[in-house]
Amino acid sequence: MKLNIIQSCLLLVLGFMVASCEYDNFEEPKSTLTGRIVYEGEPLGLRNQGVQLELWQHGYDLFQKIPVYVSQDGTFSAKLFDGNYKLTLIRGNGPWMDQTDSLDISLSGAQEIEVEVDPYFTLNEPNYEIVNDTIVRASFTINQINAASNIEFTDVYLGRTSLTDIVRNEGLGRFFGNQVSPGTAATMDVTIPDGLRGRSDLFVRVGVKTVGVEELLYSPVDNVSIN
Amino acid sequence: MRLSNITITLAVIAGLMMSSCESDWLDRQPPNILLDDQVWNDQGSITGVLSNFYDRLPAHTTLQTGWVDFAAYDEATWSGYTGNDWLNNLLTYDYGRWGLWDYNLIRDINLSIQKLSTYSTLPEDQRTQFISELRFIRAFVYFEHVKRMGGVPIITEELIYDFSGDPTYLQHPRNTEQEVYDFVISEMEEIMPTLGNGESITRANRFIALAVVSRAALYAGSIAKYNNLMPSPISLPGGEVGIPASAAEGYFTKSLEASRTILQEGGYALYNNNPDLGENFYEAIVSKSSNPEVMWVQDYLASADKRHAFTYDNVARSVREDNLASSALTPILNLVEDYEYLDGSSGELRTRTADGSDYIYYDNVEDIFANKDARLYGTIIYPGAPFRGQEVFMQAGIMEWNGSGYDMIEFADQQPDLGSVYADGGVLKAEAGPHRSLQDVSNTGFYLRKYVDDTPGASTRGNLSEVWWVRFRLGEIYLNAAEAAFELGESGEALGYVNTLRERAGFGANSLSAVTLEQIRHERRVELAFEDHVVWDYKRWRVAHLKWSGSTDNPESMAYSLYPYRVVRPGDPRDGQFVFVKEVVPRFRAPRFFRLGNYYSLIGQNLIDANPKIVRNPFH
Repeated sequence: MKLNIIQSCLLLVLGFMVASCEYDNFEEPKSTLTGRIVYEGEPLGLRNQGVQLELWQHGYDLFQKIPVYVSQDGTFSAKLFDGNYKLTLIRGNGPWMDQTDSLDISLSGAQEIEVEVDPYFTLNEPNYEIVNDTIVRASFTINQINAASNIEFTDVYLGRTSLTDIVRNEGLGRFFGNQVSPGTAATMDVTIPDGLRGRSDLFVRVGVKTVGVEELLYSPVDNVSIN
Repeated sequence: MRLSNITITLAVIAGLMMSSCESDWLDRQPPNILLDDQVWNDQGSITGVLSNFYDRLPAHTTLQTGWVDFAAYDEATWSGYTGNDWLNNLLTYDYGRWGLWDYNLIRDINLSIQKLSTYSTLPEDQRTQFISELRFIRAFVYFEHVKRMGGVPIITEELIYDFSGDPTYLQHPRNTEQEVYDFVISEMEEIMPTLGNGESITRANRFIALAVVSRAALYAGSIAKYNNLMPSPISLPGGEVGIPASAAEGYFTKSLEASRTILQEGGYALYNNNPDLGENFYEAIVSKSSNPEVMWVQDYLASADKRHAFTYDNVARSVREDNLASSALTPILNLVEDYEYLDGSSGELRTRTADGSDYIYYDNVEDIFANKDARLYGTIIYPGAPFRGQEVFMQAGIMEWNGSGYDMIEFADQQPDLGSVYADGGVLKAEAGPHRSLQDVSNTGFYLRKYVDDTPGASTRGNLSEVWWVRFRLGEIYLNAAEAAFELGESGEALGYVNTLRERAGFGANSLSAVTLEQIRHERRVELAFEDHVVWDYKRWRVAHLKWSGSTDNPESMAYSLYPYRVVRPGDPRDGQFVFVKEVVPRFRAPRFFRLGNYYSLIGQNLIDANPKIVRNPFH
């Protein structure tokens, strides 16, 4: 059989293509690790994408962390291969005490874990009330967990979307340390900015800043509507 | 197999010829490779090696490298190619953003020092001079490392692997941040007597070594002081980052002494060749003829075909000479308003009447900038300012009176938008913009002047620009001296330095009678804008996370623009006058957001894998 050059080239290319197919087809990770960051079984509110957890897997040549971002309700999830992992909290990253111990996780199939932390403060779920269609009145209590910490300020955030925090908001009221004391019920009035007046969807959230800690502790996002 | 006689004969002859050729065939000198004893015994070759190292000095934002990042801090935004709009949209600064781990360069320098000591037969004093210059470069590279990473391993000799299978003896832990700063300062002090190079402005001499001490010791001192004033100081248990507060005074003293020596003995002077103070400040940085102010530059030379495209990319739209890519970096109103009025009042531009009820009307578009600090003119092209002898007129649109208020009209029916004419025959939108969405037109209402070349043809791709990049100039030394003196309680001396600089900017003699730290910092911002200082200053003062907090409520995290409009109100005296509107830059989306983890850059996991003795930086 005689092949001309073009035909043999085409055959060659086809051969390479077929041969190379196989190598790309790794199996994708199928197991899911989901979890929550909790204190005494209660999830903590955070800034979306603000806090990062690290997963490490020993025993391979290349030692790279798998970053896991925590969403604002304190939950996280990752798609992984089955195996043994260590989960660590980055020092100074979240609104809780540093914790140097890692958490061992042996994953096979879906698994759910709870990461217990010691926050500096906690917040009970606030109540919101709309006064005169122009003021949001938030009432809540801050509880001191770590006696050595101080509150820098407490914010009430108003936003257009359910992603509302210190970085993304359309209005806020800020109350400094001496205006809020832990353990006693606090009530705060925040005037709604013009741009948010009369919205049927107004998202509200309270955040507590601890002195010297970058990330805040938040309450769950609440949707208040103004009629 | 049969070989013909001829073939055999030829083979034999060839064999004979080869063997007879040269007895030392394998010992010849290579014609295309320079050997160690050739390089290190020839001054020209050694200078060539040095020039290679000078060119490889790490820098964050210069005219050739990383200049787009000028748009990532609060000096400018990006108005050029829309594909680069991510610069206006950085949700956070990446932890690895300022990362540097250039041990290739450090190895090359160590190797050169070692070879100069072993191979060279040059006279002793010449060899010492070259070694001093190499040590200068190495110490400068370590300074660039420590200001980004904190402490790094100090390696001063070649590391050679012995192939034993165990590399651990090559793995060095990080030195402390303080040790690296001390290393930089002590190296500079040791080489000063032997550095030579006289009055060179491209190669290191004694005063440039002093200038590095002036800057590095100031950085170390402010980290020692301000890091420990934070509610929770950024530190690592081993001292890899963080300097004890007790060290601050020593560093400030070192910095101040170095600055004083330069000011007294250096023979440099502030540039004062042009009676037009605005032009004078522009020339102080770019002028290459008898410029007594610049100390150390990265030079460009058209005749050596060493040129850059900074002017091509950043020249103002209406004076561009090429058909593409102008106006990439456009200064923002935040910076413009930091330039004070010459009477000493705050630089905030007056666009609205005191009670906010109406605009303030100006006859000419440039009148609003009258009587400002001359450095504004020297740094920024504002609406109506000239460049290359031509007025850069800017007008965003018109304000037409409808009887009870103004209708703002910005967009023309005719295309192109720029240079369009309104129904009344006047300009609707100026050739230079500003424009809300078009690329390569200012989006902020300002253009960059500093470092943009006003030589005819410099903004064409055929010619390009040969403006140099200033690494050190006397203006910075004055400010370093002022800051160090103030930190040491010598506020009278600090006041003198600040007043000298302000006098050149048009303020008149002794314009301030007392000085505060806030004012010194403010002077740094207006004097040294676009000279790669703002990030490092904010970092060492530990204010970056407050200035750039990622919140839309924080005016310092946002970028603002100023759009001029022509008033159309026939029959009224205000007809044809100009009003101004301040707002957030239209192409700017995400407030600047600097996290605590940004104070020190990420050390890559690959480096930690290769050397487990390296500890990670805080928050990473």
